[in-house]
Amino acid sequence: MIVSFELNGKDVHVETSSDRRAVDLLREDLGLVGTKESCGNGDCGACSILVDDKARLSCLTLATQLQGRKVVTIEGVCGEDGRLHPVQKAFIESGALQCGYCTPGMVIAVIDLLNSNPSPSRNEIREAISGNLCRCGAYQKILDAVEEVVKDSKKEAS
Amino acid sequence: MSHALVPTKIEELWAYIAENPEAMLCAGGTDLLVKIRSRSVTPDCLICLERLDDLKGVRFEAGEIIIGALTTHRQMIDDPIIQKDLPLLASAVQNLGSPPIRNMGTLGGNIVTASPAGDTLAPLYILKARLKICSKESSRSVPIESFILGPGKVDLRTGEILSEVVINQDSRFTVNHYEKVGRRNALACSVVSMAALMNIAEDNTISEIRLAWGSVGPTIMRFGDVERLLEGRQLTVRGIEDAIRKVQQSVSPIADTRASADYRRDVAGRLLLRLLSYASSR
Amino acid sequence: MSNRPANIGSTLLRPDALLKVKGEARFSTDFYEKGHVWAGVKRAGRPHAILKNIDYSEAIKLPGVIAVLTHKDVGGTNRQGVIKKDQPVLVEDRIRHCGDAVAIVLSDTRRSMEEAIRAIKLEVEPLPAVTDPRLSLKDDAALVHEKNEDRNILLGGAITVGKGRAAEAECDEIIEATFETQRQEHAYLETENGWARLDDQGHLEIVCSTQTPFRDRSEIAEALGLDLKNVRIIVPYVGGAFGGKDGITVQTLLALSAMHAAGRPVKMWWSREESFIASVKRHPSILRYRLGAKRDGTLHFLDVDITMDTGPYDHLGGVVLALAMEHSGGPYRIPNGVVDGRCVYTNNPISGAFRGFGVTQVSSGIERAMDLLAVKIGMDPLELRLKNALRAGDRNFVGKTLTTSTGITECLETLASHPLWTQRSFWKRNAGILKKRGVGISAIVHGSGYGPIVPDYANAKIELTGEGKFRVYCGVVDMGQGNSTANVQIVSSILNQPANDIELVLPDTERTLPSGSASASRCTYTFGNALISAAKIMKERLCRKAADLMMKKDPREFSTTPITIRHLPSGSEIPLKVIANMMDSSERIVTAYFRAPVAEDLVTGDYNLRLHGMPHNLFSYAANLACVELDEITGKVTVENYATASDCGNVLNPQLYEQQIQGGAIQGLGLALYEDFVAVEGHVTTKDFSTYLIPTSMDAPDIESIAMGIYETTGPFGSKGIGEIATNGPLPAIANAIFDATGHMLEKSPITPESVLTALTEISKE
Repeated sequence: MIVSFELNGKDVHVETSSDRRAVDLLREDLGLVGTKESCGNGDCGACSILVDDKARLSCLTLATQLQGRKVVTIEGVCGEDGRLHPVQKAFIESGALQCGYCTPGMVIAVIDLLNSNPSPSRNEIREAISGNLCRCGAYQKILDAVEEVVKDSKKEAS
Repeated sequence: MSHALVPTKIEELWAYIAENPEAMLCAGGTDLLVKIRSRSVTPDCLICLERLDDLKGVRFEAGEIIIGALTTHRQMIDDPIIQKDLPLLASAVQNLGSPPIRNMGTLGGNIVTASPAGDTLAPLYILKARLKICSKESSRSVPIESFILGPGKVDLRTGEILSEVVINQDSRFTVNHYEKVGRRNALACSVVSMAALMNIAEDNTISEIRLAWGSVGPTIMRFGDVERLLEGRQLTVRGIEDAIRKVQQSVSPIADTRASADYRRDVAGRLLLRLLSYASSR
Repeated sequence: MSNRPANIGSTLLRPDALLKVKGEARFSTDFYEKGHVWAGVKRAGRPHAILKNIDYSEAIKLPGVIAVLTHKDVGGTNRQGVIKKDQPVLVEDRIRHCGDAVAIVLSDTRRSMEEAIRAIKLEVEPLPAVTDPRLSLKDDAALVHEKNEDRNILLGGAITVGKGRAAEAECDEIIEATFETQRQEHAYLETENGWARLDDQGHLEIVCSTQTPFRDRSEIAEALGLDLKNVRIIVPYVGGAFGGKDGITVQTLLALSAMHAAGRPVKMWWSREESFIASVKRHPSILRYRLGAKRDGTLHFLDVDITMDTGPYDHLGGVVLALAMEHSGGPYRIPNGVVDGRCVYTNNPISGAFRGFGVTQVSSGIERAMDLLAVKIGMDPLELRLKNALRAGDRNFVGKTLTTSTGITECLETLASHPLWTQRSFWKRNAGILKKRGVGISAIVHGSGYGPIVPDYANAKIELTGEGKFRVYCGVVDMGQGNSTANVQIVSSILNQPANDIELVLPDTERTLPSGSASASRCTYTFGNALISAAKIMKERLCRKAADLMMKKDPREFSTTPITIRHLPSGSEIPLKVIANMMDSSERIVTAYFRAPVAEDLVTGDYNLRLHGMPHNLFSYAANLACVELDEITGKVTVENYATASDCGNVLNPQLYEQQIQGGAIQGLGLALYEDFVAVEGHVTTKDFSTYLIPTSMDAPDIESIAMGIYETTGPFGSKGIGEIATNGPLPAIANAIFDATGHMLEKSPITPESVLTALTEISKE
């Protein structure tokens, strides 16, 4: 079957089997290896992507479920001109990553949070990333990074 | 699995089911796809329900709150009706899984999976939820406690889907309490959970109470004798301690990698102590 | 990244962060090619058996299946291991744990590969499985390795200190306790995997997630009968390792697969469940402590007995034991006693390297023993530690004289004046209804490097490119700890070049130079020292070249400045690009070697213990403080506050330092409260992340990190190892906090709500 959806701002049509996992479609068929797989069971969040602006686990999503949806992967988080998203910039500056394997999923989770809650408390940020495991233990600096983003956007607004 | 079908209209759903009677139905997929990966089920065909928009959303109708079975947990958390009129359900769902799982998982899926640890279930039992089950030809209404037959077993026949959850609008309980005890604070399967609806009289006695426990038996457990014992009692340690013991004698938990049976039994009773935090100031 | 030269001691943002936040950093999992082969492993599925037959007749017929490989296809020794080569690549006749690799399936698709694995039937004769390390020591126990010299003991040894056991009678107070620590799983997010291709020249190229590319190469060559120079290993970004990739995981399986794939690239990627079954774990341990002191709190005697369950294969088990024995007395002066330890074979999952490496286990022992002793003597636990804390020039428990920086006193004093400690009584009294609070501390020492015999060396290589920039050939793997950032900082700062202009070549056995394993807290110390030498030589060489070009006789009149070399008296400059193009390519490369100094002390005559690392020479120190709140209804433990004061030398990069301290502490927190890797009769029951629970963001408190910043004269810019020490602090600090709250010392880990509830209900009974 052909699955058609919007991927990182562009329309794509992919020949695939209906039961192919979205994470495999993205990584193997479309070459978008930024989305990672770490457990295959929905227990770690590394495979997170945005589907219609909400974070979803691509290891538990079938290709056919993407039909007609708006999908954003980590590769699509940058601006068209390659400019970093404020969340990405803050992650770099706050040292919110070590090995980097959980980072794409974390960035996606944070973007989902800020879309619906632009001014979260530290605890709300903590809860928003609670589905993303980080074995290097970078949680604290991730929280610091997101607080910086919130602080900066408040400054800009005023 | 060889193929997945995604009906966009209910008529398509009935047609797909008729063509594939062995197919499994998938709502959010957060439980079912995990079971398929571990090969504990091996369906040839999967029918995904997520495009059936008629089965989503929360509304009032004639004094009842109707929740579409395919409403996601996230949608319920964000919904003003749930926030205002079913705070017990909102707080239970807030604890479920993790943020992306709440974006994907549905109320109907949680009910039909019927795990004794299902986070929506204990609240739904004491909210006296009724379930609307539909097939191509007919529909029926079943109280949730009759629908769930055992761990992973529900009264759903081939050709039927759970379409709606119906709860009487009833805001008389002042205390809406849910506690989930997990081995960690997120992405945790409940080790024991308790839902409570309670009213406290001016003299700090319990005037009305409904209780349900999860993860301490094959399905959600309610004990009428415990509730009757508590009604009229002072909301103090002394006042509830025999109820604690009665709960501990009545539950039938199993042991697994997450906790021993003794711990579950012990804590199931002790969770009543948390209700003391609602007591009027002394 | 930065446009200006980096400064040592100032945070340079990680150069790899840009790629990682964009999802552009390539890990070895990220290699795919049309037509590549999938390789997967059939595992034994039982803990101990004689393998009689492998029936793959059905498997080989499945569409897409290319080959099924068994031990018959292995051309070399079919043995791998770092110290003792006792692990087969593919089982020949004896299955020794459930994760043993028995056959490899090569297939066109992942699905058919998985189906074929299921279709392989193993004919076995079960043997009694040895799954309790205590029973493994008995004379009637089944033998895991029939030809092993010492029955089921991989390594054992004892050291007598001072008067030995005779000193026990001289103590005024003695405590005894037996602690048991559990198996812990690394749970790196990137599971074991690799990508390999054998070209038609017989050259094998492997891209792999590993901490030890050079050593892997030797192991592959020997096990499979290949020529070393035909094996190339490339290590891209690694998604976490923590010791679990210290040695062979997929490498030999992958190489063998590539040899049978007719030139096609092969991909192997262990699922999470397979990683759980097949990979190494932290050694579970049984620690019996008898600690004695004089009435005034002076420690006088320690008798410690250590048993570690090493699973079926060596996998550095002896090295873990030796390090544990060496550290069993903690950071204290203890003049008399005995340490007796053994590392025991069983048919449980394999135990191996895991951040902390034996020190984690014994730190939890000595530190809980100290708190028990403090109560017995009636002394404040921090005062007891300060009184006995090692100073430079002291001998530690096994008799090593401390000749390098020793900052444990500073760490403890920092906590002593920290408000979390000074205001602890007030904080505890303010526990809410049905909550109980406690505050506990732990003091940790951790030695870095390999010990006196195995050489701890590195070879740095820096190249001036034709563009006038500098290329650093990283010898040690950066698996997230950030040593590649430190590398950039060192070179950028010595050569005064913008950090942006420093390129990194990640480890590659054909381009970078052998520099040892990314382990033992030695990466930045050893490789950094080599890199400093290389950078200085490069600077000197360029200044001499410039002096020649400008016809000045003294190269000291020159200095490298961003993108140029400047003649300081006149201000004239030559762009580096120009100088580079006047140099032969061999002149533009500088290599430098560093070997870490080792202990001169002979603390034991046992050569085996010395070979396995005893004693070390350079130690990092830390003191940890945990404030816990216990829920009296459920027994759940919440760490409300956590602070650590650490001596890991001069701080090269404050952000990297904090990352290591915070990250290590969260892993230690997992060991303390959440993680229990369970095998029942050798079969893993915690199969995945739903039952094996690592801390989520909701479980991880913020960690306050205070660096002492003490300058270590032998270290690169005064630094010491920081990779492991933070993992050792939380278990004892939290156990001690719970002891403070309840009066009960919990002796098993993880500390479960159930055990806390038992401790709490016992208080209310009392």
